[in-house]
Amino acid sequence: MTTLHNTSTHSRPIPNPSKSLITKLNMGTGLVVGVIFAFAAYYAFRPNADTAGFYNQQNKALLAAMLFWSVGFLIGIGAFIGPFRWLIGKDLTAEEQLYLAGDGQGVKRYFKYCTDHKVVGIQYLVGVMAMLAVGGGMAMMIRTSLAVPGGHFIGASVYNSLVGMHGITMIVAMIIVATGPFGNYIMPIMIGARDMAFPRLNALSWWVLFTAIPVLCSAWFLGGIPTGWTAYAPLSVQAGPGMNAFVATILIFAVSTAVAGMNVTSTVVAMRAKGMKWNRVPIFVVGATMSVALAIPAFPTFMLAMVQTATDRVFNTGFYDANVGGSGWLYAHLFWIMGHPEVYVILLPGIAILMEIAPVFVRKPLFSYNAAIMGFAGIAGLSVLVWAHHMYISGWTPTLNGPFMVTTEMISVPTGLLFLVMLGTIWRGKPWMKLPMLGLFAVIWNLLIGGITGIYLSDVPADNYLHGSMFVTAHFHYTLMGAALTGAVAGLAYWFPKMTGRMLNEPAGYTAFWFTQIGFQVLFLGMFIAGAEGQPRRVVSFAAMYKYSNMISTGGAYLVGIGFIILLWAVIHSWRKGDIAPQNPWGAKTLEWTVPYPVPLENFDEAPIITSDPYGYGKGN
Amino acid sequence: MSNHDEELTPTPGQRAINLFRRTDVQRALLFTILWTAVFVILGLYFYPKWMPEVMSVDMKSMERIMIGFTIISAPIAGLVLGIATQAITNRHKGDTPPPDGPAVRTNGPIVAVWTVVSGIFCLIAIVWGIVEVNTMANAATTEAGTAVHVQVIGSQWVWSFKYPDQGVESDKLMLPINRPVVFDVISEDVNHSFWPVQLGVKVDANRLQTTVIHTVPTKLGNIDVKCAELCGLYHAYMETSGKVMTTDDFNNWITTNGGHVA
Repeated sequence: MTTLHNTSTHSRPIPNPSKSLITKLNMGTGLVVGVIFAFAAYYAFRPNADTAGFYNQQNKALLAAMLFWSVGFLIGIGAFIGPFRWLIGKDLTAEEQLYLAGDGQGVKRYFKYCTDHKVVGIQYLVGVMAMLAVGGGMAMMIRTSLAVPGGHFIGASVYNSLVGMHGITMIVAMIIVATGPFGNYIMPIMIGARDMAFPRLNALSWWVLFTAIPVLCSAWFLGGIPTGWTAYAPLSVQAGPGMNAFVATILIFAVSTAVAGMNVTSTVVAMRAKGMKWNRVPIFVVGATMSVALAIPAFPTFMLAMVQTATDRVFNTGFYDANVGGSGWLYAHLFWIMGHPEVYVILLPGIAILMEIAPVFVRKPLFSYNAAIMGFAGIAGLSVLVWAHHMYISGWTPTLNGPFMVTTEMISVPTGLLFLVMLGTIWRGKPWMKLPMLGLFAVIWNLLIGGITGIYLSDVPADNYLHGSMFVTAHFHYTLMGAALTGAVAGLAYWFPKMTGRMLNEPAGYTAFWFTQIGFQVLFLGMFIAGAEGQPRRVVSFAAMYKYSNMISTGGAYLVGIGFIILLWAVIHSWRKGDIAPQNPWGAKTLEWTVPYPVPLENFDEAPIITSDPYGYGKGN
Repeated sequence: MSNHDEELTPTPGQRAINLFRRTDVQRALLFTILWTAVFVILGLYFYPKWMPEVMSVDMKSMERIMIGFTIISAPIAGLVLGIATQAITNRHKGDTPPPDGPAVRTNGPIVAVWTVVSGIFCLIAIVWGIVEVNTMANAATTEAGTAVHVQVIGSQWVWSFKYPDQGVESDKLMLPINRPVVFDVISEDVNHSFWPVQLGVKVDANRLQTTVIHTVPTKLGNIDVKCAELCGLYHAYMETSGKVMTTDDFNNWITTNGGHVA
């Protein structure tokens, strides 16, 4: 450990960082230390006859192992070297900091604690694609099992676990799908910054998230997650050891989102280029910032809900146990106070990406920048006041259903403004039908269907029937998958040339688009019908009367699956062998297109000065 | 005012006429009408077809809302999709960016009208919903005296029903027609959700905490009772059946099961 004491930043000559400990740490050392910590924690907290009356022994040991794995991994990859130096009154040397930025280290830097925002962006992108692939694979298994009535393909236990794992994997992936890759890679360049406000925290947010992935996967080997992604208590307290993986995943993930959210908001507030006033900030940056800013107050309640689930499971505290004065409604509140803002955390960046894309491809200014801001702000503001519409039928206080119905339906007004901005921008233009632009039209349709069905569900008498049915599942897939994911994929097609230096393969991209979008409509039209007919969600088996609607759904799901496999192939193939992209293939005016590929370490040779917003397209502008 | 001036500043009427002479506006209008029709047909024809038989006042109100909301939102959906479809028909092909469009940055009146109109539609939905909720709540209070009381007990993974006034227990939900019914719902373990599908009501079953719903069955026929809240391993199989029967049949059923008519 001599290297830790090596020198202060003032010494000359600057020591060779190759002697520093940080050069020796990477994902491999992280894994080793993490696994050692996990086993050590399991051993320390192992089932013990002396405390058998106080704890649920197995839950205690497993939770400890999972959380210590995360800490151990972060120590092993070197995340805490900087803070440790602060404790002894020092910091990383300038050369060490430069080393951490990863310049010139090739592919290796993607497996290290790297502070360059572009590296973190790529790490997020690959991570998200892997999570979506796994979550999508589980969706295919679910739909395959539901192809015919009776549930013969998969047993009830595995099926329930699939539903829970698919749900939480997709929710985590969707929360980071836009702000992770594009918020980290593109956004700092877009605002003319040299990096994020806190580059080391940026690396931390990714690697913390990374440690959650094996924890979540461990659920498969511990009996699965039988509760769905909502993990309602008391079912979650009753559930087997796999539930610990869910609890630990959320605890870890909440730290990651807090760190990332703080970093993104600080960056946008403090690091914009000279002259980039608030009314000149690109709309994607506004949407992404509102999204992460909304996550900052939302996720701690989920974390709290999980802390209480953990203590209920380990110490029998009984927060959610009615037998000792607790209440399952407490969990439902804490969960949905996070849960409803969270859907807008997912949705806003997707819509903001499309608003960024639209002006470029119709060569017109963004229609009513102010309406876009009001739309985002209105949604973000109202979204914290609507959570109990998920609890209309829980019976906790029927008299409050009315007020929550009012706030929920009010969201349709700012949502309408987002439509107005998108439509106003394409109106009287000639849209250039490249892949990103196709995404805009798909999202207009999908968000419209998701929005209208959302109005039915927000209405108490209608929800009395539809709640907990397949109709709800179809509704939120239209908003989260049809709108937010399609928006993010459009963003990938749009920024692919900047992030990889190559163009996304167009024929494969178009094929993937039509397969996924047509399949998507078939899939969820079938599910809407099944829900309207009265099929509950999360059921392994259903009656013969829902046969046709489910068959349609499964057929659609296979089309979506084929589409995403083609898209994945297109991304991998184009990344390796695609046509070399020009610096600004779309003729866009935002700052990220003014830098070459590969983007240099601190993005700009000269700090840019902004004199107008980036939407000066059109005649006479 | 000279002719020249009139051309520069046309009257509002003239401007409206000019607007509707534009082919893009005409095409967008045509698509708007077509899409509106699609949604009206969806609401009027398909929803009633997909949803199960209406067997209670609540199911009726639910069906009214589904159809009503679809028809109300049809012109909005029509306009959104009409504009989008028009834009697709006007698309630009090729590998170079399209020519510059008009540099319109905003249009104050349009933003204002759009916001106000969507606010009005939102208000209609809110008022409608609140009136329905209040009607139900009032009905529940006024009819409580004459109602059949049913205790619904959810446990992993069966439903059971107690008729305290009649002194009967059953694993099937039997109800008399046209008489209000109050369900007192409770769980013996985790959360369940009591869903007699054709009655259009639903409420969670919580441990040690009774929740109440109310409805009036209005049609004879079979009811499917399901659980709408994931409650563990055999959630999917937590279902039973029931029946809305004539008062005489119901009374017969009560007496044959050892109860007394109340």
